[in-house]
Amino acid sequence: MKYELVAGFETHVELATNTKIFCSCTTEFGGEPNTHCCPICIGLPGTLPKLNKKVVEYAIRAGLATNCEIAEISKMDRKNYCYPDLPKAYQISQYDKPLCEHGYIQLSNGRKIRILRIHIEEDAGKLVHRRGDTLVDYNRGGVPLIEIVTEPDFRSVDEAKEYVEKLQLIMRYIGVSDCRMQEGSMRCDVNISVRPEGSEKLGTRTEIKNMNSITFIAKAMEYEYGRQVDLIESGEKVVQETLRYDDVTNTTSSMRGKEDANDYRYFRDPDLVTINVPREKVEQIKEELPELPEEKKNRYIDELGLPEADASLLTKYRKIAEYYEKASEGTKNPKTAANFIIGQIFRSVETESEKEEFNVSVSAENLNELIILLDSGKIRMNLAKSTLDKMLETGKKASELIDESDMGGLDENTLLDLCKQAVENNPKAVSDYLGGKEKAVKAMVGFVMKNSRGKADAALAEQKIIDMIKNT
Amino acid sequence: MVTKDEIMKIAILSKLSVGEDEIDKLTEDMGEIISFAYTINKAADIESDFDNINNLSNVLREDEVVPSMEREQILKNAKDSDDGCFMVKNIMK
Ligand SMILES: [Zn+2]
Repeated sequence: MKYELVAGFETHVELATNTKIFCSCTTEFGGEPNTHCCPICIGLPGTLPKLNKKVVEYAIRAGLATNCEIAEISKMDRKNYCYPDLPKAYQISQYDKPLCEHGYIQLSNGRKIRILRIHIEEDAGKLVHRRGDTLVDYNRGGVPLIEIVTEPDFRSVDEAKEYVEKLQLIMRYIGVSDCRMQEGSMRCDVNISVRPEGSEKLGTRTEIKNMNSITFIAKAMEYEYGRQVDLIESGEKVVQETLRYDDVTNTTSSMRGKEDANDYRYFRDPDLVTINVPREKVEQIKEELPELPEEKKNRYIDELGLPEADASLLTKYRKIAEYYEKASEGTKNPKTAANFIIGQIFRSVETESEKEEFNVSVSAENLNELIILLDSGKIRMNLAKSTLDKMLETGKKASELIDESDMGGLDENTLLDLCKQAVENNPKAVSDYLGGKEKAVKAMVGFVMKNSRGKADAALAEQKIIDMIKNT
Repeated sequence: MVTKDEIMKIAILSKLSVGEDEIDKLTEDMGEIISFAYTINKAADIESDFDNINNLSNVLREDEVVPSMEREQILKNAKDSDDGCFMVKNIMK
């Protein structure tokens, strides 16, 4: 029998605010333990939380960017559980009135992953387990999070991977989070069940908690799918439980007695007043939303005429798209800047974080200057390419690297002269060409380019050389 | 009504140890407390009152950093601390 995977996601995204959700401590990552703390975020009695305006704004942004409806009235609730990472013994979260509901993210196969809700809440502290005791650092306690909950709409691991990548990209674009999975600013819980293909009824699900890498998510899902299918095939039952994924052994294992939802005893936090979101505010945030990655990519393809692969590469990171737009501003052909960036500048960025930051030695303005020189006919493509390499090496501007004498291309006589020399100096290439090896002409064009220091028009030189060979 | 099982469940969730001899009394007391709380249900228009504490809404603060407290102060009332951290009994089994 064939089995279908059914999965849903709960994703925690740390918001890029300056301060925590209910106090004015910094949210900066790292720092010596317990140095980003105050009586509010370590939950001392008598303290009162006060909601950060930015958190509400960012959550609304995230909601709008994922096609959600924004609630007019929202409120905060207490989720009670007892664990040392939570100094108050409850987490302030949202239960029945989340800020955003009923959105979706569309995948490349056309399927829509429905978003059930997005709510705001506070992060917990960090625990370090040692032999005999546990150390608690509350620097992360109270850092604002949004939790994005989907319906069980995933049918394959590939869909899940695409969703996480898309979500990450959207959140980065709209500037609400850096979504660095290794640093824990984006973490996923995945619930998984399997059912016979064609069946409508959902199987018993398990939940894999707290994964912080797309690779692990994919591996964990594959493992868990296999495990559940094996259980069913051998006549056993899947037990509803919370699992932890171990990336070393590539297996999932049960987490000790996590209290189930009813036991959180949610109730309204009496310390925090109602959140009212006027419709004008929603409209204003919508207006201010930047162009989203999907829209940008489509515009690059439809309006700028870029190939889809190029448009994807350029829109995958917000900073790269910004760089591209600056570099191509006022140039004749949008493809020129795209080619330079993808063909040459990309070589200087390797890691994900380098791509994300896109701090390259050639500024967008300097690339733009180079393209304008090329467009105006002052330099040829070959010279532009070699100049760009030098710019990458030195960080200098094109105008500093190209001699005045190199600009303006070649006059006809100089070109003809160089072509003549190329033919005379390469008898083997000539005979190869005449013998049917058309590619042999390239060697002679190379000679012209080299001796003109890239100023010659390669296509024109090739034509002239062929004419010369044929006419002798 | 409240059952003994429920009392035991609540006790476990609240990390309280409850002796055999206490259960009956606690179940009775809790039953009374809850039936007292039910009188609130009789009050009218609960929802709208509850949705607006003192008719306040949108009490928000600007996102501006204020220096945190000295760590020494933060840890001062901790039962135990080490390496700049609060220290608790090992919770991993
Ligand atoms: Zn604080």
